[in-house]
Amino acid sequence: MMFLARRTVPGRIKVISSVTVAALGLLFATLAYGTAAAREGLRVIGHDAGPQVVATAGLYLGLSDMDAQVATALLLGDRRQDALARYEKRRAEVGSALLQAHTLAGSDAAERRTISSVLEGLGRYERLASEALLLSTLPAAGSPGPASPSGGVVPVSTTPATIAPDDRALASYRQATDLMTRELLPQAYNLTLESGTIVRHAYEEGHSTVIAVRLVALLCGALALGCLIWLQIYLARSFRRVFGLALLGASVATAACGIAGAVIMEREAAALATAKRDGFDSVLTLARARAISNSLHADQSRYLLDPVRADTYQHTFFDKSQSLVYLPAKNLSDYQRAVASLKNDRFLGMLEGRDVAAAWRRFQEADRSLRAESGASATSALTGPVRSAFDAYDATLVRLAEQHQAAFARAIAAGEGGLSGLWTLIPAGLVVITGGVLAGVWPRLKEYR
Amino acid sequence: MTGMRSNRFAAPFVMGLVACLTALLATGGCGAGEASSIVGKETLVIGVRPDLPALGLRTGDGRFEGFDVDVATYVAGKLGATARFVPALAADREKLLLSGQADLVLATFSITQERKTRVAFAGPYHLSYQDILVREGTSGIANVRDLKGRRICEVQGSNAAQRVVDERRIDASVVPVATYDECMSMLKSGRIDAITTNDVILAGLAARERGGVRLVNTQFNEQRTGVGMRRGDVEGCERVNRAITDMYQDGTAARLLGKWFGRSGLTLGKVTVPQFEGCS
Repeated sequence: MMFLARRTVPGRIKVISSVTVAALGLLFATLAYGTAAAREGLRVIGHDAGPQVVATAGLYLGLSDMDAQVATALLLGDRRQDALARYEKRRAEVGSALLQAHTLAGSDAAERRTISSVLEGLGRYERLASEALLLSTLPAAGSPGPASPSGGVVPVSTTPATIAPDDRALASYRQATDLMTRELLPQAYNLTLESGTIVRHAYEEGHSTVIAVRLVALLCGALALGCLIWLQIYLARSFRRVFGLALLGASVATAACGIAGAVIMEREAAALATAKRDGFDSVLTLARARAISNSLHADQSRYLLDPVRADTYQHTFFDKSQSLVYLPAKNLSDYQRAVASLKNDRFLGMLEGRDVAAAWRRFQEADRSLRAESGASATSALTGPVRSAFDAYDATLVRLAEQHQAAFARAIAAGEGGLSGLWTLIPAGLVVITGGVLAGVWPRLKEYR
Repeated sequence: MTGMRSNRFAAPFVMGLVACLTALLATGGCGAGEASSIVGKETLVIGVRPDLPALGLRTGDGRFEGFDVDVATYVAGKLGATARFVPALAADREKLLLSGQADLVLATFSITQERKTRVAFAGPYHLSYQDILVREGTSGIANVRDLKGRRICEVQGSNAAQRVVDERRIDASVVPVATYDECMSMLKSGRIDAITTNDVILAGLAARERGGVRLVNTQFNEQRTGVGMRRGDVEGCERVNRAITDMYQDGTAARLLGKWFGRSGLTLGKVTVPQFEGCS
């Protein structure tokens, strides 16, 4: 407070100018801090954890479908070509998803450990799956088995259209599917969830910082503006001059910078909120829904393939169905009755979910007819109406996810566009306003020399 | 005159500047802590079973021991808290959470969509299967369908027996009891034919008997054992999930399973982290 007590005119001008410049410095420092926070938030949500959700969800889908295709191939016997081709395609997709997930994991040690563990498990899985597929083409020991009467490795056309895989093939498949469903898929799924956690943290930190910066920017802008007006009043009184054009310009620029800064911060907060709530959250929810849907679809193949565990697979199908669309029901048939009479236009709480909800009803209906059949007709139900009902349902999920993905990308782009504006505003504003203050004050101070 | 006037202005401006700085500094320290979150608590009150050997059992001196108790201690440690245990019988688990008497419940609490309408779950931290325990020498019970027409006990608050009757539509006669000890003595005296519930519970009960009973080893329902929490604490739930991931990655989970079930006749398989339920 010492220097405020200096009562000389130049002393006072210097004090007021210093306070003005300090407030300006604070305004721009605050805006710079807010810009950095918003940029980091947008980076994590838009370019790190956001894409990681897509990569790991793709990993889950690929893995889950690989196992479903092995089960289908075992069920179909010599008509397995399509299933095997799809298996190979999925295998390739899994490879690139793993690579991408590993890149996006960056320096996160826990994520990297999980990804290498999936990679290691995938090798074991492929060995067991090929073993099961190979065994199913060999003549079974002590039983007629599924292979061709000639005993050849490659089944010939005289093999029955639908064959029960022999016990050894089934035993290998059980090991394979256990490895897949109990080790690999959970790790892929948890990676997706972990990205959700990372995004939530980045969002909460970024959003609250930007909101606070907006307030502080307004305060500092008002303070700087107040100082400038004070300076002008003081100069007008001391030197009997009405206008200081430079200072007036500086005041206008300060008001403009303060307001523009606050408005941009407001928009950044809105962009972060839109990217998180309307974009990312829905993309994550739909990615999880697709993962669970795919795994319950695989449970249908496993249910038909493995009579010993059929009850368990029916139960997991029921449990997973309920986790997607919850309806109070004690068992699968109760549930499917309830789904049939469901008049719900929402899916997972999403308003635009009408198509998905309708496709879900049709898929559950197809499943009900599948479970009423047995043997070859059940298998043809699986590869016919059930498969197409599932594909139609999955397509509605994909469409909905694409809508939200687009909203997400738009919000991230809007947020980043706003920031680049601020990045030019800060240095330009600082130069213009400081220049104005100096130009306004310097000639007055010189009068005292 | 002007000097006096400016001075009256100067003080508020300087104060404004200070307020500005303070506000700027304060924004750095603002967290998203919810009042009801388990994060940041020094002591976590955790409900564990008092009645299940190897999972959660109250010992003579009033302490608790078992797999769930060890997992709870580990999770609480990862959250930077110390655990204080309270008994949670099957029927009390939701009540303890909803009334605020417990922060977490690790008491062979299976995740179901129906329960999730009232409480939240972190984890699961362990996957088990429903199985059947019979008297030594019982024949004709090899899988869940063989429970038709048999008497099975149902411990209050547990849904295992009802799942056989409702989900599988198997016409077993369900005898309600309060505890597994009661179930066990009824099984031994022949008043019931079988106990069906989580294999880990059955393994613990069987291990304590040292003979006389047999685990059928027909794994028929996947049971996802989760950490019961109050709904809405997303941060807390995610922290618990991270602790569970750590527990599997650092080998603690394998060690604890080996410690409590290694000699119980239970097939442990490869110990890997289960698929989480998700916190939102």
